[in-house]
Amino acid sequence: MEISNLPISPSIRSKLLSKGYTSLSSLSSISPSFLAQELSVKLEEAVEVLRAVSDTTTSKSAHTPNGIIPGAVTAWDMLSEEQMQRHISTGCEDLDAILGGGIHCKEVTEVGGVPGIGKTQLGIQLAVNVQIPVEYGGLGGKAVYIDTEGSFMAERAYQIAEGCIYDILDKFPSNSREFLSCKERLQVNNFLAGIFYFRICSYTEQIAVINYLENFLTEHGDVKLVIIDSVTFHFRQDFDDLAQRTRVLGGLSLRLMKLSKMFNLAVVLLNQVTTKFTDGSFQLTLALGDSWSHSCTNRIILHWNGNERCAYIEKSPSVPSASAPYLVTGKGIRGINSNFKRARIM
Amino acid sequence: MMDTEEEDFKSRLAPDVTPNRQLPWLTGIELLSDTNQNKHFLPTGLEGIDALLGGGLRQGQVTEIAGPSSSGKTQVCLSSATHVVDRNFGMVLYLDTSNSFSPFRISCFVNQLHPSLPKELKETSLQTIMSNIYCQSVFDIFALLDLLHHVETTLKHTVKLGGSKLCLLIVDSVSSVIAPVIGGKNSQGWCMMASVGVLLKRIAYEHNIAVLVTNHMVGGENGTLKPALGESWKGIPHIRLLLSHGTGNNHGTTTVLKHTLMVSMHLDHHEIWSKWVVFFSVLEHSSVTGRVLYVAGDSFAYRTHASDTN
Repeated sequence: MEISNLPISPSIRSKLLSKGYTSLSSLSSISPSFLAQELSVKLEEAVEVLRAVSDTTTSKSAHTPNGIIPGAVTAWDMLSEEQMQRHISTGCEDLDAILGGGIHCKEVTEVGGVPGIGKTQLGIQLAVNVQIPVEYGGLGGKAVYIDTEGSFMAERAYQIAEGCIYDILDKFPSNSREFLSCKERLQVNNFLAGIFYFRICSYTEQIAVINYLENFLTEHGDVKLVIIDSVTFHFRQDFDDLAQRTRVLGGLSLRLMKLSKMFNLAVVLLNQVTTKFTDGSFQLTLALGDSWSHSCTNRIILHWNGNERCAYIEKSPSVPSASAPYLVTGKGIRGINSNFKRARIM
Repeated sequence: MMDTEEEDFKSRLAPDVTPNRQLPWLTGIELLSDTNQNKHFLPTGLEGIDALLGGGLRQGQVTEIAGPSSSGKTQVCLSSATHVVDRNFGMVLYLDTSNSFSPFRISCFVNQLHPSLPKELKETSLQTIMSNIYCQSVFDIFALLDLLHHVETTLKHTVKLGGSKLCLLIVDSVSSVIAPVIGGKNSQGWCMMASVGVLLKRIAYEHNIAVLVTNHMVGGENGTLKPALGESWKGIPHIRLLLSHGTGNNHGTTTVLKHTLMVSMHLDHHEIWSKWVVFFSVLEHSSVTGRVLYVAGDSFAYRTHASDTN
């Protein structure tokens, strides 16, 4: 693989290639005299070549503490990093509790549900909550909102931002000096300015935006959340070749995984439902097929439980499956107990 | 007399057959003793799965776990990593394609291992165990191939790093990096999938490492699910297990799809039997007084109840 990268003279390199030695591993167990005979060169030159080979391989392993592969981190280091990580609150305490604090950064979370259950509301709530300053327990980051259906309403975002600020000031009523400077930043217009909005109208635009995101995120390093609402829409109607759709979606999800890991942000994908004929009956499942269901880190299903809206964690590597009810209020997503809590304090 | 002839023949044949100057073949007895002494079973931490695997993940072999979404594949991988390091088999390298490696979950597994230990010992044991599990994220097939080549080169050149050697390689999941490149008009994707398969098997065999990969499910005929990556991938893992959801409760079931030692309970039943029937009938019925040279890919396994006549 890397003969062409070795620091040896071109004539020797071409001799190596013509004799069939194309990768470093093929030179790994050859003695210098054998190599000299093979290439018809002097013994010293063969020794030089083999030394260059061993230098390249040892220099790669010298960079790593463990010597196995560069970039590998031990689970112990990751644990301490993970414990310092903040999560994005959803607005509903019960949902935050079952999620282990909120939506995790460095992970791709898929949220699916029937129309009208509150997926877009949750998306806008997360885009607002990610901007809560660090002093108030949030991440203090910005959000990228990629809208495929046109369901993002700026007026609703305004309402939700207002509700969020109101609740923060309610929760932290102290007027101490350190909070005063943050209070100035708690303006609805700042919150709206912190949401980068992309409107896309076809699947090619969707693929293009996701490819472009890497450059965008390098420039705007404070983005901590990317929401795609909804990831399914353009892929359901325009694709004739389903196998190709699966491949394209697979590539998309890998790119999103890479972005979330590289830039330490959370990616939230909103998905629609479809009916599937399994075991003799029609059941509701998330759209885009079985392969897509494999390519997210966490999955939350929003559903109706009688008259109540409920969120169910279907897939997660670190928290068990659980369910939590939530409400969609004028101020955004809230838990069912939050109204009672306020009454008790007063 | 026969032995010296044999030695002579081997030494003349050796340079052409293998570049490493190793003896090109071993007898069945040598292979069997090597298996019994060197090829240990690595525990997954889940008794049912260990029992189904015949003891655990076999060193030198590639085990695949397939299953629908959230059936527990990542949990099996995390549990195996923890238990293998705990029993001091060596280091674990976890290649993660979906950011599902959860250090928190590993710490939960570690805490469940020895519940009766005092707190300080638990802390040190947690640190020791987690410092021997290495995680690297891979997001496309080229990066995976590059990494595997690098692992192979490093393993060849280092004899032993202070006592801890790589003993388990987990790729979770190998199907999400391979699936986007296979299919379509050109066949390069299939070639890359074959390269990944060959590389994994070579790493497993030459360095006595157990390899664990996970695979997802796709739709087959009649709405049933089947493991992804198609027919060509089927021959690559030595052992394939299928996890499925329990309905309602938390219990899932595991089925053996393919195993070199056991009868599988599923579709591949007849394929496996036919290979073995051919081999043993040759041994049984050969009236030539000579030995049989079995050139194995690597699915050669040691059935203890061979036929009576040698």
